[in-house]
Amino acid sequence: MAITAGAPPTRTTPGGLALGLLTGAVIGASLTAFIGGCAAARTPLIVLGLVLPTVFGLLRYLGTLPRRARERAVAPRTALAMIESLEAVGSEASDVPVRFDLTVAPDDAPAFRVEFRQTVNLVELPDYRPRGIVVVEYPPDRPWKMRIVTRPTPAWEERAARAFLDSAPGPSLKNEPSKGCVGGLLTLLGLLLGTGAVLLLFRADLFGPDAGGAARKPSVTSSSTFSSTSSSTTITTTVTSATGTVALGPGRSMLDEGELRRSVESLTQGADQRQALTVVVQDRLLTVVWSPAGVDAAGFDPRSLPFDRVAALVEEARTTLGIDSPRSWQLTADGVTGSPALRVTVTGERGTGILEADGQGRVLRRNGS
Amino acid sequence: MDWHGALVLWCAVWGVAALIWFGMSLAGVTGAQRTVRLTGRIERVRPPRHGGSRAGGISVVVSYRDPASGQDVTVTNDGEHGQMITAAWEGREIGVSHPRGRPHAYRLSNAPGPRTRGLGRAGCAAFLVYAGLVALTAIDRGWPWALIGSGGPAAVLGAVQLPRAVRDRNGRLARLSAMEAVPGRVVAVLRDVSVDQDDGHARTTITPVLSFTTRAGTVVTAHCTANLPDPAGAYGREVTVHYTAADPAEFTVDRAAGERSEKWDVILHVLAVAVFAAVAVAGAVLLRV
Repeated sequence: MAITAGAPPTRTTPGGLALGLLTGAVIGASLTAFIGGCAAARTPLIVLGLVLPTVFGLLRYLGTLPRRARERAVAPRTALAMIESLEAVGSEASDVPVRFDLTVAPDDAPAFRVEFRQTVNLVELPDYRPRGIVVVEYPPDRPWKMRIVTRPTPAWEERAARAFLDSAPGPSLKNEPSKGCVGGLLTLLGLLLGTGAVLLLFRADLFGPDAGGAARKPSVTSSSTFSSTSSSTTITTTVTSATGTVALGPGRSMLDEGELRRSVESLTQGADQRQALTVVVQDRLLTVVWSPAGVDAAGFDPRSLPFDRVAALVEEARTTLGIDSPRSWQLTADGVTGSPALRVTVTGERGTGILEADGQGRVLRRNGS
Repeated sequence: MDWHGALVLWCAVWGVAALIWFGMSLAGVTGAQRTVRLTGRIERVRPPRHGGSRAGGISVVVSYRDPASGQDVTVTNDGEHGQMITAAWEGREIGVSHPRGRPHAYRLSNAPGPRTRGLGRAGCAAFLVYAGLVALTAIDRGWPWALIGSGGPAAVLGAVQLPRAVRDRNGRLARLSAMEAVPGRVVAVLRDVSVDQDDGHARTTITPVLSFTTRAGTVVTAHCTANLPDPAGAYGREVTVHYTAADPAEFTVDRAAGERSEKWDVILHVLAVAVFAAVAVAGAVLLRV
């Protein structure tokens, strides 16, 4: 059969290269965000590391949906082909990857050369020899997606048995993606850009003084006469001329070791002589009502509270007052003059109990519901 | 977001997905409903090559009538084209299906299948909603609800299916006892070796291929994956094949083993129902403690 050689189509496009760059950037950014977020205990970065590739993958899937639908709609073309050369790449399995170089001769188009890889069973490998005729199938718009039909229909089997084909001149289309060095370099560049972008945009989170373990230290703003508020991810401290409050973030409690003492001290920094009229402690909230300015004799020093006894008093109130399923507790320290009186109130599903103690944390009386 | 919120979101997302897929099924636009289902006939069975691969099943040439053009179409089971044909004979009816407008994407199946409503995705989404609700209840009201929610419905479903399972078992036993016996021969032993890329461990799958001729004169070629001793060395071995006259694809070389297997099927079914019921009862008891 006399055949005419056709020119192989080009495959590398600027769009494909840009997509490679973008994919690299997303991989770099998401990996950096996730690992950095884990190391610095920054939830937003961890979420970014998970959401970014998911959204990118979804958008890419939706974006390529029409193209894939178009490709699926195209019926594959069947043709005869002659094996120019073949080389078994090698494998320990029974199916061996083989690199084929074929001259494909479609009935209604110029012949062309193509190189591709296909696994062939070891037992069937001797069937494929140079100059041998095979039946192939490929999408007309993507001839490099070639495959040898191992079970042709009887009509094509008969044609293949009688056919004789000439070689078409090269170069061959290649089955493997041929983005080459440029594509690989662009993907690598994107990876570096993505990594750099995350490191730059989130440098405060990743390398700032609050990164890692330092994140748990409260940010404190105190003022003896003016209201000011500041917050970190875990603690919010507010100090005004009348009150001071410390609110802990999720997962923390005033009953944690040293937490109440630190919170009280954070409110009294720079106000050594400040006295409190009332201190109210709840699971994640501390409120101190300061004594009015100019009334030096009123109130007590909040730092004198028996911090080491508070957890035990609360536990005792929860367990000994006969409250069913205690849900919340509150410790109130009142002291207009001298030592404060402590009162632990526990609220359950059906009632409230009160435990009273002196300024040293010694239990004075118990009142169940 | 805590666990409660995450589970509510889970249920909401899958609930919406289930509604959409149910709606698509009602509108008749699911993939299964848009699939053209036809009946094909095996025109030729190509003999398997000893030592070859079982991938792709028994090589067959199938023809069917294209309803659009009215012409006969001939195809083969080359490449990714549906189910693996494991029993073949000339004249056997098999299922051919393809998406509407894309006959080249045909798929073969061992038997012509009925039209379906494409409710697989919707059912899967509904199951995920149910699983989320069980988890939500377990978190809100106590973990024994997880036992009740998982064991209860499974036990009820199993119990409802039990009479049908017994009927099917009895039917299969009746067919086993009525099977006809003919001589057969192992015409090939297929050997597939795959290598684990991580540890280099090689896994070999041996598939003997039987050929036998029914009393009606039909030459059947079939994979025989059970009850054949020493399958690797079975090439050329003569065996007695028991087959169902109505469907030679239903055959065995060891009828007694088939009967034992059928008895165990029902016992395992009953055991599974008992285990699920016990799980549900344990959950109910723990709730009352």
